[in-house]
Amino acid sequence: MKFDPSLPEDGINVSRAHPLREALLLVGGVVAIGAAAAVAVAVAADLAVPHIPIELEARLFSGWFDRGVEDGEAIAPRERLLAQLLNRMARHWPENPYVFEIAIWDEPEPNAVALPGGVIAVTNALLESVESENELAFVLGHELGHFHNRDHLRGLGRGIAFSLLLVAVGVGGGGSAVQLASLAGQFAQRDFDRDQEIEADRFGLVLLAAEYGHVSGAEAFFEHLPELDEPPEGALASYFSTHPVNADRIQALHAAASEMGWELRGERQPLPSLRPTR
Amino acid sequence: MDPFVEMSIQFAVPLALLIATYFTGTAFERRHYASIRERELRYRSLPAVTFRSVPPSWKATECTLITGSVVISVDYFKRFLSGLRMIFGGRVKAYETLLDRARREALLRLKEDAVERGYHAVVNVRLETCRIANARNSERVAGLEVLAFGTGLKLLNAP
Repeated sequence: MKFDPSLPEDGINVSRAHPLREALLLVGGVVAIGAAAAVAVAVAADLAVPHIPIELEARLFSGWFDRGVEDGEAIAPRERLLAQLLNRMARHWPENPYVFEIAIWDEPEPNAVALPGGVIAVTNALLESVESENELAFVLGHELGHFHNRDHLRGLGRGIAFSLLLVAVGVGGGGSAVQLASLAGQFAQRDFDRDQEIEADRFGLVLLAAEYGHVSGAEAFFEHLPELDEPPEGALASYFSTHPVNADRIQALHAAASEMGWELRGERQPLPSLRPTR
Repeated sequence: MDPFVEMSIQFAVPLALLIATYFTGTAFERRHYASIRERELRYRSLPAVTFRSVPPSWKATECTLITGSVVISVDYFKRFLSGLRMIFGGRVKAYETLLDRARREALLRLKEDAVERGYHAVVNVRLETCRIANARNSERVAGLEVLAFGTGLKLLNAP
């Protein structure tokens, strides 16, 4: 028997494909699927949220969030003042089904948050930087707007639904796929937040105009807090920030005021000091 | 931290690793294939065949166990590609070149061992693969061994 020393043709066991082409194709597929799933999940959450009864919401979330009532005596007057202002604003929303609660958080960032169950949390930093009652009223009105549009639940519903999606992807694929999907999802989620903020601003303006007869203070609130939403550099920057940059919101505010005939100037009510008394 | 910075860090590091390992992996692969082709040509006259017994026409005088083995691992870029393939299915093309190189390298080492020790042919050649588990996380594979072994023969009438 003769031995045939010829070599097999090269690459018989290897597919001819450029690895970069393969990478692009697969990454594109994952991003497309991730984005589509994120949008689907967000839409599903949005559709489901209005059907959650408010009593159920209150029951589900009571005690979920730290109300931040520290050494009660010192904080109490500030809370009472905030609660009174909140109630005055909420009176202009007659069909309001919530019983609101105020929480004060000791955080360095000026911020206010609407939490499921009817809790409105404001930070000490925000209380220290507002200069009139009207500004504070606008902030509270804005948060009431989030409750009115049920954004506080939407965000949560989306968050939960989206985590489930990530878990599903994590089970099916590798860690890199999870990262890609989460990036795609973050893009999809940010866009919803921008519209929600502007809608909530608008609701806050309605309440502000109803309470004071003018909407002075709303714009000042943005002007006093440039550091709240300092726009980062670059074209994509405002896309990346959860809150639209102030300029966007001020523009929307002007548009709403001129559309509804609200006066942007007017007498502002003074505000007692809201610094923590310690 | 600024979410933009946070996101950049979260994604920039893996991305940089991906780019770097794509280039290093491609360079290593090209060099390895060049070496494999050159050595395959050099050793092609040495038969390494899968007969289970010595052909009657070969006059064997001596025999021994000949082995050649190689341990390989996957680079970051190829692992990334295969991770995505796990979602969509299909050929894991990224691993094909890797395993092709491992098999050929193991056979070449077997032949080199045979030549060095003065053997003229290797029969009953078998290839075995074996996963090497990552000790810290036994779910993950740290590497893969490809072992080629066979019976080396010294022949009176070398083919």
